Amino acid sequence: MAASALKVVRSWSGLAPGVTFAVWSIPRQTQVRWSRYSPEFRDPLTDKEHYRKPVAGLTEEEKYEKELKKTQLIKAAPTTTTCSVFADPVISKFTNMMMKGGNKILARSLITQTLEAVKRKQFEKHRTASAEEQAIIERNPYIIFHQALKNCEPVIGLVPILRGGHFYQVPVPLADQRRRFLAMKWMITECREHKHRRILMPEKLSHELLQAFHNQGPVIKRKQEMHKMAEANRALAHYRWW
Amino acid sequence: MGTQAPQSIDVQPDNQVPVERPRTISRTNETDPAQHGEQHEGQHYSVPLQDLKTVFPHGLPPRFVMQVKTFGEACLMVRKPALELLHYLKNTNFAYPAVRYVLYGERGTGKTLSLCHAIHFCAKHGWLILHIPDAHLWVKNCRELLQSTYNKQRFDQPLEASTWLKNFKITNEHFLSQIKVQEKYIWNKRESTEKGSPLGEVVEQGITRVKNATDAVGIVLKELKRQSSSGLFHLLVAVDGVNALWGRTTLKREDKSPIAPEELALIYNLRKMMWNDWHGGAIVLTLSQTGSLFKRSKAYLPHELLGKEGFDALDPFVPILVSNYNLKEFESCIHYYLENSWLQHEKAPTEEGKKELLFLSNANPAQLERLCAYL
Repeated sequence: MAASALKVVRSWSGLAPGVTFAVWSIPRQTQVRWSRYSPEFRDPLTDKEHYRKPVAGLTEEEKYEKELKKTQLIKAAPTTTTCSVFADPVISKFTNMMMKGGNKILARSLITQTLEAVKRKQFEKHRTASAEEQAIIERNPYIIFHQALKNCEPVIGLVPILRGGHFYQVPVPLADQRRRFLAMKWMITECREHKHRRILMPEKLSHELLQAFHNQGPVIKRKQEMHKMAEANRALAHYRWW
Repeated sequence: MGTQAPQSIDVQPDNQVPVERPRTISRTNETDPAQHGEQHEGQHYSVPLQDLKTVFPHGLPPRFVMQVKTFGEACLMVRKPALELLHYLKNTNFAYPAVRYVLYGERGTGKTLSLCHAIHFCAKHGWLILHIPDAHLWVKNCRELLQSTYNKQRFDQPLEASTWLKNFKITNEHFLSQIKVQEKYIWNKRESTEKGSPLGEVVEQGITRVKNATDAVGIVLKELKRQSSSGLFHLLVAVDGVNALWGRTTLKREDKSPIAPEELALIYNLRKMMWNDWHGGAIVLTLSQTGSLFKRSKAYLPHELLGKEGFDALDPFVPILVSNYNLKEFESCIHYYLENSWLQHEKAPTEEGKKELLFLSNANPAQLERLCAYL
């Protein structure tokens, strides 16, 4: 029943392209995305410390697990898994979103140059600042990056819902994942589109990140506009059924 | 102020004396390169910013210039190849022909900065510094190539020559009035430099009349070579990327035929400088694959980069190998970055972080610097 409902919904896609379907959250039993692995494959365990434990120090349970794994099929670990202490999941996700055409090397180099640019700018500010200001200025590019993206996350979003032949923009609470995605998406779109063609991406991105860190700038403005629109369409909130 | 204690202190096993933990010391207060010895190995010494502007108007690697701007100080690490070179320079016999020292090594190991260390030493001791920051810039990407006024077969490069003359003037201001030209040079119908006038006039002529800049450079080189034997001054010829002089160029004539390096007047005159038929100074050279043309990226040995012609021209020379950091130098570098709060990542000062940096950079100074830039 759920599958037939979803099939009907999917046929509506001919009507309005680019519309995000609020109706995905009808009973979440059907798997939309599938995997080449059959169900008996287990996920890989990529923990260095786990494999470094000496054989003598293992408990009975762990020994049993180890023997069991020898007979089971295990999926391949994705190429992006690292045991690096400097690996950051937020930075990895951002790099993947920046990537075009599979050119991860270029995306990663842009991000590292951005972090370096942020650091150098902050160091300049720190050098010319007085003693009290020096304590406040944040020089860690990772903290600035995380805080800037957190500041850009919208709290409430708009979703088009079909009622009586018209699509209404209904305010809806967003999931954490969706908020993080929107913050990163807005940041990247802003830096790609609203810059002079001679300005390089790391320069523009570092500038926008620093502005967002201080709750200023175009990306924060976009988030606030989203909030204002949601506030304006408050009356339509009852169209939401979840 | 004396130097600080060396890294590992040998303490006699004595129950009363507490064992001192070996502290990583990355800095030394010794600013005079002449006093640098083996006890300063691995430590950073700072070059005063005023000296930096006069001695190195050009010649420092661009990433190092960015680092100087960010930290507000210029700190060079004292390393074995540089110490070896300084030892040879201290014991030069000015009566013998100039010895050629060639710094070679893989990419990013610190050849240019070792050269800068030697130049700082010579500048402090009042030598005349003839520093060509990158010979590769003279054999590629030249916008204006004029037929030479002096010799119809050769080509002039006015832009490169005039920028070099400007920087040469900044470095050796005080020598330009002391050294007198020993010949009359006629520039054109109206201008000429009389015999006995200071070298500064030739340099001024080259800077103001850009068309004659290449010839001015040639004259400066000729006069300095002739007069270095007189004993008025010691001459240091420092060329970075000397393999450009004997390689190929990417420059072409109007009919698209390639130009050989000896057809460029700047290169021709510089090659004459490399001969050891003069005395009263030293020649310090660096091989560089990074800016070179038509060379494999992994090439670093003198024979590979210089080719047969270059090797025969420079033979005999003293080769000095510059290699990656050893563990002590690596620790010192990390400690220097931590002191300046350059490594902001919270995992960077930990043992695992350092092990990972060592693995990723393979103790190569350039790679380490690039890694630490974004951490």
